[in-house]
Amino acid sequence: MVASVLTCLLRGLEGVLVEVQVDVAPGHVAFNLVGLGDASVKEARERVRSALRNSGLGFPLRRLTVNLAPAELRKEGSGFDLPVAVAIALAVAEKRPPPRTAFIGELALDGAVRHADGVLVAARALRAQGVEALFVSPADAAEAALVKGLRVHAPADLAGVMAHLAGTAEAPAVAGLLPSAPLEPPLEDDLAEVHGQEAARRALELSAAGGHHLLLSGPPGAGKTMLARCLPGILPPLTLDEALEVAQVRSILGELGASPLSWERPFRAPHHSVSTAGLVGGGNGLGRPGEISRAHHGVLFLDELAEFQGPALQALRQPLESGRVVITRSRGTVSYPARFTLVAATNPCPCGWLGDDRRACRCPPGAVDRYQRSLSGPLLDRLDLRVAVSRPPLEALSTGSGAESSAAVRARVMTARHRQLHRQECLNAHLKPAGLRRHAPLGAGRRLLERWAEERGLTARGFHRAWRVARTAADLDGAETIQEAHLLEALGYRLAVHERAA
Amino acid sequence: MAVVGSRRPTPYGEAVAERLGADLAAAGVVVVSGLARGIDAAAHRGALDAGGVTVAVLGTGVDVVYPAENAGLAAEIVGRGGALVSEFADGTPPRRGHFPKRNWTMAAISELVVVVEAAEGSGALITAEAALALGREVMAVPGSVFSPQSVGAHQLLRDGAGLVQNARDVLAVLGRGQEVLDDPLLPPSRLGLAAPVRRDGLLGHLSETLPVTAAELARKLGLGFAEALARLTALELEGSVLRRGEGYVRKLRRE
Repeated sequence: MVASVLTCLLRGLEGVLVEVQVDVAPGHVAFNLVGLGDASVKEARERVRSALRNSGLGFPLRRLTVNLAPAELRKEGSGFDLPVAVAIALAVAEKRPPPRTAFIGELALDGAVRHADGVLVAARALRAQGVEALFVSPADAAEAALVKGLRVHAPADLAGVMAHLAGTAEAPAVAGLLPSAPLEPPLEDDLAEVHGQEAARRALELSAAGGHHLLLSGPPGAGKTMLARCLPGILPPLTLDEALEVAQVRSILGELGASPLSWERPFRAPHHSVSTAGLVGGGNGLGRPGEISRAHHGVLFLDELAEFQGPALQALRQPLESGRVVITRSRGTVSYPARFTLVAATNPCPCGWLGDDRRACRCPPGAVDRYQRSLSGPLLDRLDLRVAVSRPPLEALSTGSGAESSAAVRARVMTARHRQLHRQECLNAHLKPAGLRRHAPLGAGRRLLERWAEERGLTARGFHRAWRVARTAADLDGAETIQEAHLLEALGYRLAVHERAA
Repeated sequence: MAVVGSRRPTPYGEAVAERLGADLAAAGVVVVSGLARGIDAAAHRGALDAGGVTVAVLGTGVDVVYPAENAGLAAEIVGRGGALVSEFADGTPPRRGHFPKRNWTMAAISELVVVVEAAEGSGALITAEAALALGREVMAVPGSVFSPQSVGAHQLLRDGAGLVQNARDVLAVLGRGQEVLDDPLLPPSRLGLAAPVRRDGLLGHLSETLPVTAAELARKLGLGFAEALARLTALELEGSVLRRGEGYVRKLRRE
């Protein structure tokens, strides 16, 4: 009596089809689970035994061997409970497993089907490999149902699953619900609330339009956090594909609820005590997505940049370039998407008041240099828009700002983004040097850029990055070609903060 | 005589210190300072440029140069017949408590102390205090009333320190008034503070001492921020404005 059913093993954002094979044979009473399961998988035996008994299905007092194939891949997680129990029940009842059907879920001791992490990712992978029906817990039904062409059943307990398979009681397929087209999202932080800060406003607009990373520098209380929070509000809503990518990361982390798809851009603001693994991904096993992957297609805000641990910041460099993070372990490599806009904020010096017009800085000059040096050059080099944020005069706070609203800025941002996608199918910040030469010819401005690069020791990367920002400034202007003023503006941001005048 | 001041001077302060160092050295005065960043380094540099002799009083052992960026300057001071002086043993690293002591030494070996720029609580004020306690003359250079870097110097002037407009003022107090280097009636261009040639209307709105940010300038002139930043960057590239912190200042031109 052998039965086998399908389930899915996750490796990062990829799913591997796993066959759960059960052999119920005469012999000593035993329950063996083989196929490289880790501790949480081994524990499945106890849960499955109780769940089967308490569902009235009985547990065979015979020699039971469960194999998770392919056996060479290490399995982790509690999602194997349901397929193992179903396979045992089918083997005992000597029934054939349903074709092209997979099962994912943890079991409670009373037989209830519980949530498993990563169901959306698994469902997409299973569908891609020809699976047509998927059984999950009611808690995971909504996310699984996002996958087109997959029939999703979500009975409340193991007895319900078996009744459906036996044809005695049908568990209806869950209807896939896409949230309706994005409306004007209500903004918690609107640029209309920001007083002055022309430099930061312009930088936010360029960042939103071209995908450039941003550094805000200013004394405590100047409004750096408020400005950063305004960035998602001037970005266009997520597209369907983007929203699905965001949902996949959250699915792996087990954070998707009843309405799994959101059009809102993520905004993540980890505290500066965050570990390297917490920031870029890692942890047990193959590694889980970190803050940078949660910020995929959105904004990662690092307040007090100089206070973050050096290794954590260094680990940011590669994802900043490539939009992906690769975590390599002895057991294998996973990669997660991490295409985010970095907004970093820093005080100008340890005491915070350097350059303020109302309070004097009390730091010894050496300390200022050390503090500014602690921001590693290579990271700083990737922050294209560096602007100073100053405290608004107190008298301005009691009156309205009279400033432009986020909605007005977003309209310009969307026009500029549309121009870029139409021209080169990506944002300016993601243009490769070859694409830059083709889509952003410099003309007479080239000499200007080269001269500056020479005089101020711009790196090759800095050279290209200034060039991309200039392209975005031109796009916001509706200009076909980059003009000298666009280049000068872009260069102005590169030197604005933390670089001593020659 | 000693020329002391802020480690974070304005371009104005640096220009004054350099000029004073040069003119005093040219008049045969030995210029004493502390080899620190900013005013100190500018005073040493000015004295050397005028072919004079200058003495650096250190807060470290004489074999330790702090800050390290002034190592070249230290070597030049010794090479031109000047001296590095220290009350601390060889190899003593920079320590917080040593610099006030160094300031006393500086005052002790000088006949007169000129404070160029000093913010409130600046080390240069310790030197001035020491000079008074030791019966030395104290003088100060006035600055902009808006500049926090001149608050300390103005306090000294209020308390009766002599006002320094040029080297002649100092020489007069030293009793060498006959060596006229500068006529106080000449325009300040004589001090190397000539206004730069105005090639861009923006320059007229920039100060030599107080940084103005691109946003402030844009507001004042009714320009977009992007345009103001682009034009300032162009001026920076050609060398007529400098960045100071978050803002821009006009670069001082010497004749």
